[in-house]
Parts: sequence; structure tokens; C-alpha cells
Amino acid sequence: MFFFRDKQQQLLNRALKNRPSGQLKNYLMTPLPDPQQPISKTQFLVLDFETTGLNAQSDHIISMGYTHISDMRIQLKNSLHQLISTDKKLTSESVSIHQITDDQLQQGMAVEEMMNVLLQQMAGKVIIAHHQAIEYQFIQHLSHNLYGHHLPMRMADTLKIEQHRLQRLNLPISVNQLRLFNLRTSYHLPRYHAHNALEDAVATAELFLAQISHRQANGFPLKLKHILS
Amino acid sequence: MEIEQLEIHDFLLLCHPLNQLSSDELKELAENIEITYFSRNQTVLEPGQHNEWLYLIRSGAVTRTDHNDGLVAQFGQKDFFGHRAIERGGIIKNRVSTIEDSLFYLIPKARYRKLMENNQAFNQYFSQQKHERLKSALQLLRSPPENSLIKSKAADFMHQEVLTLQQQDSIADAALQMKNSHQTAALVIDETGIKGIVTDRLFCTKVVAMGLDTQQPIASVMTPEPISIDRRHSGLEAMLLMTRMNIRHLPVVEDGQLLGMVTATDLMHHQSHNPIYLVNQIHKSQSLSQLPQLSQQLPVVLTKQVDAGLNASDIAYSISSIGRAFASKVIELCVRELGPAPVPFAYMVAGSLARNDQTAHSDQDNGLLLSDQFDASLHGEYFAQLSEQVSEHLNRCGYVFCPGDVMASNPKWRQPLAQWQHYFDGWINSPEPKALMYSSIFFDLRCVYGDQSLFDQLQQHIRELTRNNRLFLAFMAANAQQNKPPLGLFRRFVLEQHGAEHKTLDIKKRGIMPCTDIARVFALDAGTEVINTLERIKRASESGVISNEAAVDLRDSFELLSLIRLQHQVRNIKRGQEANNYINPDELSSLERRHLKDAFELIRTYQDVVTQKYNQGQLG
Repeated sequence: MFFFRDKQQQLLNRALKNRPSGQLKNYLMTPLPDPQQPISKTQFLVLDFETTGLNAQSDHIISMGYTHISDMRIQLKNSLHQLISTDKKLTSESVSIHQITDDQLQQGMAVEEMMNVLLQQMAGKVIIAHHQAIEYQFIQHLSHNLYGHHLPMRMADTLKIEQHRLQRLNLPISVNQLRLFNLRTSYHLPRYHAHNALEDAVATAELFLAQISHRQANGFPLKLKHILS
Repeated sequence: MEIEQLEIHDFLLLCHPLNQLSSDELKELAENIEITYFSRNQTVLEPGQHNEWLYLIRSGAVTRTDHNDGLVAQFGQKDFFGHRAIERGGIIKNRVSTIEDSLFYLIPKARYRKLMENNQAFNQYFSQQKHERLKSALQLLRSPPENSLIKSKAADFMHQEVLTLQQQDSIADAALQMKNSHQTAALVIDETGIKGIVTDRLFCTKVVAMGLDTQQPIASVMTPEPISIDRRHSGLEAMLLMTRMNIRHLPVVEDGQLLGMVTATDLMHHQSHNPIYLVNQIHKSQSLSQLPQLSQQLPVVLTKQVDAGLNASDIAYSISSIGRAFASKVIELCVRELGPAPVPFAYMVAGSLARNDQTAHSDQDNGLLLSDQFDASLHGEYFAQLSEQVSEHLNRCGYVFCPGDVMASNPKWRQPLAQWQHYFDGWINSPEPKALMYSSIFFDLRCVYGDQSLFDQLQQHIRELTRNNRLFLAFMAANAQQNKPPLGLFRRFVLEQHGAEHKTLDIKKRGIMPCTDIARVFALDAGTEVINTLERIKRASESGVISNEAAVDLRDSFELLSLIRLQHQVRNIKRGQEANNYINPDELSSLERRHLKDAFELIRTYQDVVTQKYNQGQLG
């Protein structure tokens, strides 16, 4: 945990040297959630990006969806689905996955604006994603490009939470098993068909609630540090 | 946020009464929903705590238990809970816990309140008590009466063999021709078409009353230019025309050409969902071989009555009347074949047929009550033959042999009055489980043929045995607990008290029987002799044994169960199957399932009432 705190502190110190302003300043001045606090008292931002590929250096975000969890309830009213504009042409493959066309993307939000929105939403929250590496890398890449440094962040990953659970139980893990929709089935969550960033964010949020509910079923409340990535 | 694009929105649209909201109301509701998850065996609502939400089950299932941990209800996907607590100012009375991993959509209480205020359908759904909901369900379930006369054409039910006369035929000749052809009317025609009509009434009102010479031509007394109807006009128009003009015969024409005639009787026959017609046919038949064919009409009559949106109790009454008509006709014809009975007897039917609760062909439950002059060595053979034949012919008419062998063909149920009285003495004074079963069968007893006074003597005896007999009442009350209604109906299964699941619901055993048993106990307490379930409920309430409210609850539950059973049986019939009592929850709408659940809950409540009222400290 010391390492944890140190790393985030280092990132913060570096960032503050640049005399941040606006949403960035607000984000940096808001304390990160305390790893010792109970999960039930933590506020979460559940985030999903649809991207043109997995490489934050060369690929682009084409849409973003998020929702919030507080008091262990998903707050639909604080949800957003937003197309992100990019000058990069979509490949036919990513078009078929996300069913978004170039024309629609023209009307999307610029990444600078998107980061402003995200900073506002992320302040004081733990960010949850399913397979968080993508969201994490894209955010850090954009932050580096736009602000000249990386961001201190607290993240939790529903995929890792499951991986750890299975490892603790010494159960074998198959590749497909950890996919979002297979995991949902194993927690008896309803089947969703649509595939957009907000739908996925809500689906991830529900999975997260299910994971926490099952882990706390024995009556011991979890702390935030138990689930942070 | 484009909430309409989320699957949540689609799900809400599937949930009654949310599907009654305007699109703006629904959107606003969806945007304010919060989502929560409980793994199985967790408490969702804890008594003493505060509830701020209306819960909608997205997936999973919960149970509600009262303060004694008694199971009160179970809920599944698309069901709501929590609104009662909101109405109580947030105070939670009953524990709600998950029995499966469950995902809930939470609707904030402010939103709930707003919809209660502004949306009538929403308000009705949540404010109505179970019994009020049942009432509106009954209205919905009874399909709007479909008048088959409107749909049919005059030509559909005219008869084509019309007696025609020439203008110069004499009155006497006309009368003779009408007599020979069994016609009540004849048309007078020439090459240009219909000139006039002659009806049997005319011979009274004109010929005889005015003392006319019967050798005069018929044209002198006929009603000229009779009213006719085009073949394309509806049956309803034909009936209205006949009523308005006060006539009983209506020629059917096409382009002035005579096609046939419609009579008042034709119209009545066409209304063959009117079971009086079938009952008449049964009474008129003169041979046992005709009856099985007539009995094939029963499913048709049933279907037409249900489709016409009649009351379940009225339908059951007419189906039972048909059943009794078959029974008494079969007995009458068998007696005719065997010769007159050597001693007086009364043929009794029991069970649903006696109660007027029959909805389709069912098992025979009958017995033969013989006069005490009966001497087995002299008369035994006659009654053995009679009951054997009666059972056999009833079986051919679709009233199949009773699997429990409760039939007069079984010597046990073919006994003199003294022995029957002895049976009842045993059942009532030392009620064992088997005795209670017979009590509940033979308590609902009706004489369909034979010596009514013999039957009255038996009834009198039973009355004396049961009057103010609290112990027997307690045993009957315990007996009424045998069949418990299920907890609820989910999409593909029937949920049982102990968490077990079944694929189909036996609506007779799990709903109608318990209701019938409860009514029997109350009627017994009230000392009334009526045996129809609804009448028993009514009498019990009139004599103060149960409250008016209880009577209404029981009546509506019974009516709903009967109606759903009837509609299921009509679906059976339309698919070419035998009508049965096994309902697959899948064939019911979510609304029907909910209303059934209400009815089950009410019946369970009154089973408890029966226990508390009659079994306190009496058994055990």
C-alpha cells in the first residue's frame, strides 16, 4: 500500500508543478478515495471506451460511456453516452463491432473536451472498467499529450477482481470465462444484446455490484484496498 | 443520455403497469432509476427499517415473510414490491429477502408518488387491494360478448324445405298439406314470386274465429305481400325485424326469388350456445344410442359460452344441467329396458355435478339409494344390472368411470337407506381421513332420478347428524387445509411453499378444490343446505358466519379461478384435446399470473381463517 500511495503522490507532485488550472486543477486538488474506506461508502465512476484498437499511441477513442455508483446503487441519471470525434478513418472491423460510422463521428466531441468532462466526473471517484488497461492507457496517453504528465488515479477492474477470486479458490481460469458477458451469466445477471459504450458501462457496473455482494455475503464488509488494481 | 437506447427501457415496456405510461413519463422514470444487486439469501427489506423505493425485479426472485417467518408471498421477474411500505410512510413490516441472485431496478418514492397522482393505470395497479384487482381482472377476462347473430347471415340458418301453395288451393287442403309436412307456415306463390303467407295462427284467428268456409281458396285468407329478408342480411337484423313486426316466420329471398324461411325456432336453434337447446335434445331422445352423439355437443356449447363472455358460474350451471340431463336420461332409458324397478330408489350424483360447478365432461361420482324394502336376494340382480348399465352408458357419453370407483355399480355405493344412514353415522361421528374424503364427496349430493322423498329422508338424517356438531366441523375444517394453493406462477414454473417447482398448475386441485372446501365448511357452520359453492358463500355471509367482505373475496377468487380454468379448457378443445385442469404458466399473461397469485393468496388467507375459527384447541 505504501508503494501505492507513493506512486499516486509522485504523480500528483509532478502534475502540480505545471500550475494546473480549470478542471485539471479541480481534479488534482480533490483527494483520491482513501484505500482504507469501506467500499459501501466509496463513489465509483464506471467507464467504457469503444476504440479503434488496443494501442493508445496509434488508436483512437470513438465513443465513451459512463455511469456512477454511490451507496452501492447505479445512478442512471448520472450516465452519459458520447461519440468522440477523430480524424482517423475507421476500419471496417471496428465499424462492424461498434456500429458507428465516420459521419456520426464527425459530430462527436473533441478529445480535449472529453478529457474535461472526464476530469470533472472522475474527481474523488474510483474508476471501474472491465479490463481496465485500455481505459487507463488511453486516459494517461491523452493526459500526457494534453497536460504534459500522467494523472494520479484509483482504478478497479472487474476482470481482475474475478481473476483474483478464482486464484484464491485455486480454480482454473479459461480465457472466455472472464469476458464481461460470460461473467454476467455466472452471476445470474440478465443477458444484454446491445453493444455500445454506455450499455457496457452499465453492464460492468452491475457485474461489479454482483461481485461485491457475493464477496460480502459472509457478512464482512470489504475495504476499498481489497479491490483496487 | 439516450435512455431509450438502453435495454432497461425495453424491459420497462414489458412490465405492467409501466407499459401504460406515456413515453415522456416512462423516459423520466427510466432516467431516475437506480440499480442494485443482492446475492441470494440476503435481506432486502428489514422490518423496522425505512424504505425509500419501489422495487422492480429485473432478474431473480424474492420472498416476503411475516414477523413469524411465515412465508407470505414470492415475487419474480417483473414483479414489484416495497410500495406498501411507502404507503405506510416508509415503515417496513415484512421481511423481503432474495432466494436467487437478484437485480433490482429502484424507483424513487418521489417518482412513485408523482405517478400515483398523475397516471390512473399506475394508481389503480398499486392502490387496489387484492380483491379490487380481482374484480377488475374479472371484467377484463370476460371477453366482450360476441353476438353470433351479428356475424351470421340470414341464409345461414334458414331452412330450405318451404311448403308452397297455389292461390287457388282450398283452405282445407292447405291445412292438410301443412299437417303432413310438419310445417307451421306455408308460402303462397305464383310464377312472379311470393304472393302471401299462411301460418298456423291464421287458422285460429281467421278461419275458425270467423267461421270461414274451408273450401274457399287460400288466397282469401292469406296475409298478402309478406315481409321478407334478403339472404345477405345478418341474423340480428332478421331477429329485430321479426320482433318489430311481431311475426314468427320470415321468408328469405334473393332478387325476389324464394330461397327458404327463417322461423323463430330456427333463430333459437342457431343460438346453440344456449344449452337449453341441448338439454331439450337430450330430453327428447328416445334411445341410448343417440346420447353419445349428443354429448359431443358439450365441448361446443362450452366453447361458445366462454367465447360469449358469460359468467363462469352461469357456464358451470348450464354444463352441470347438461350433465344431469344425460344422467337422468340414461337412467330413464335403462329402466325402460330393464322394466320397472321392484322397489323405490333414488339415483344420486355427487361432487361437481351436484354442486353445479361442472365445466366439462368429468368423472362419474354417483350412488344408488334404495328403499328399505330392498331385499338383496330378490332385488339385488335388478339394481346391479341397472347401475352397471348406467355407468357404462354414461362412460360412453364422456362421463368416464370414476377412478376411485365411487359409482353405483360398486355394491358399496348401492345400498338401502338404512345402510346409507349408517355410512354417514360413521363418517360424521368417527371421522378418519378416508371418512373425510367420502364426507366431502357425499356432502355435495343431489338426486337426479327416482324417488325424491327417499333422498329427502337421507338428507334429513345427515342434517340431524351435523347440526351443531362442532367436532365434525373441526374435522371438515382440517380437511379443507389439504390442498394448499401454490405461492405463485413464474414464467415456466409453479412455485411451491417449500421452494419446489412444478411445470404445470393443477388449477382444480390447487385452487378450485380448496375454495370449494372452504365454502363447504362455512355452509356447514351456517346450517344451510345449498350445495353450489357460490350459493354456500352467499348463505354463509347472510347468516353471519363470514363477513360480507370475506364472501366477496371468496366469490371473486372462485369466479376468477373458474374463468381461467374455462378459458384453458376452451384452448384445449380448440386444439383438439380433451379439456383438462393442467395449466402451463407459459400460456397465461403476466397479468393473469398476477391475478391468480392474488386469488391464491386470498384462498390461503381464508384457509387460515378456517383453521383459526374451527380448529383452535380441537385437534392435536
